[in-house]
Amino acid sequence: MSSLLVAASRFTETAEGAGGSGKEPFVSPGPKDFDLPAIFDSVAWFTKPVLIVIFMTTMLAIFYVASSRKAQIVPGRLQFAGESVYGFIRNDVALDAIGHQGLRFAPYLATLFSFIAVNNLAGIIPLIQFPATSHIAFPLVLAVISWVIFLYLGIRKNGLIKYFKDMMFPPGIPLPVYFLLAPIELFSTVIVRPVTLMLRLTFNMFAGHLVLLLFVLGGEHLLLEYGGIVGVAAGSVSLIGSIVLTGFEGFVQLLQAYVFTLLTALYIGGALADEH
Amino acid sequence: MSSGTSAGPPDPVDPTGEDADSRAARKDSNDAWAATSLLLSGVVVWGGAGYLLARWLDAPLLTMVGLLVGTATALYGIWFRYGRS
Repeated sequence: MSSLLVAASRFTETAEGAGGSGKEPFVSPGPKDFDLPAIFDSVAWFTKPVLIVIFMTTMLAIFYVASSRKAQIVPGRLQFAGESVYGFIRNDVALDAIGHQGLRFAPYLATLFSFIAVNNLAGIIPLIQFPATSHIAFPLVLAVISWVIFLYLGIRKNGLIKYFKDMMFPPGIPLPVYFLLAPIELFSTVIVRPVTLMLRLTFNMFAGHLVLLLFVLGGEHLLLEYGGIVGVAAGSVSLIGSIVLTGFEGFVQLLQAYVFTLLTALYIGGALADEH
Repeated sequence: MSSGTSAGPPDPVDPTGEDADSRAARKDSNDAWAATSLLLSGVVVWGGAGYLLARWLDAPLLTMVGLLVGTATALYGIWFRYGRS
């Protein structure tokens, strides 16, 4: 819906600007298409991404409550769906990446995965069609939570000094190299981990949405503005391509939710590991 | 699905018993991400230090020295941590 609205506003703008001279110049989509206005003028923070997160999280909560209420030994369809997601995260992420201690993190990891997945998928759900996670605030908060968890667990297990000593000074390296290596190790664990978590999710969603916008707006422009045989043919290809890309985008959105969850689990596993 | 106790449907993965294979796979996957992260850090930390020094001392070559030192150190760190088996 948002892309349609943006397209419509763009259309009227350019039509007025050029004075109806036939072929309008194509305005390519860009970061400005992610700046969505507040829904109510008086509440500046309440924008479309915020509404999407509230809506999708509510739906998610309803889904999980409905699927786990009246749980049967032989699950019904809804219960099966809920347990499949939870079971997948519990067995293939929590237990695989953390080990036997992973069980107690399975609820958090499943929540994390579901939350990211639905807010990513909002990008291709008809009528919503905006990935809330392309606004960096949401991945930022999630990355900070993961960061606090793995640092806290590591420090609690080893103690503050030993945790950083093990991280920065693995035994057996020639003394001069420590001067070069220790800052890198520290930076790698404390800065690069949360920052890459955040940026990977944000910009995958950002770029994916931008590509979809480009295909849809470009196809619309070719069909309606450029016209002729070439315009109609290229516009049709572009619009059909946008459908294919929507499917691909759905795959990327689920994959990114999985990667975020898996990395969080790996960091937790690393903090709890006995080696070092 | 509440906990790993034996009640209810059989569990595809036994949460308590862990074989060496899955532990090795977990370590591999962890190491792959850690190595990438370390390489990136080497370039950023020492490349950044080199860049700042280069600006301060007005000697542009120091940026490249920093980048090379960072990359070399990161590669050494990766080899030291994960490369020797």
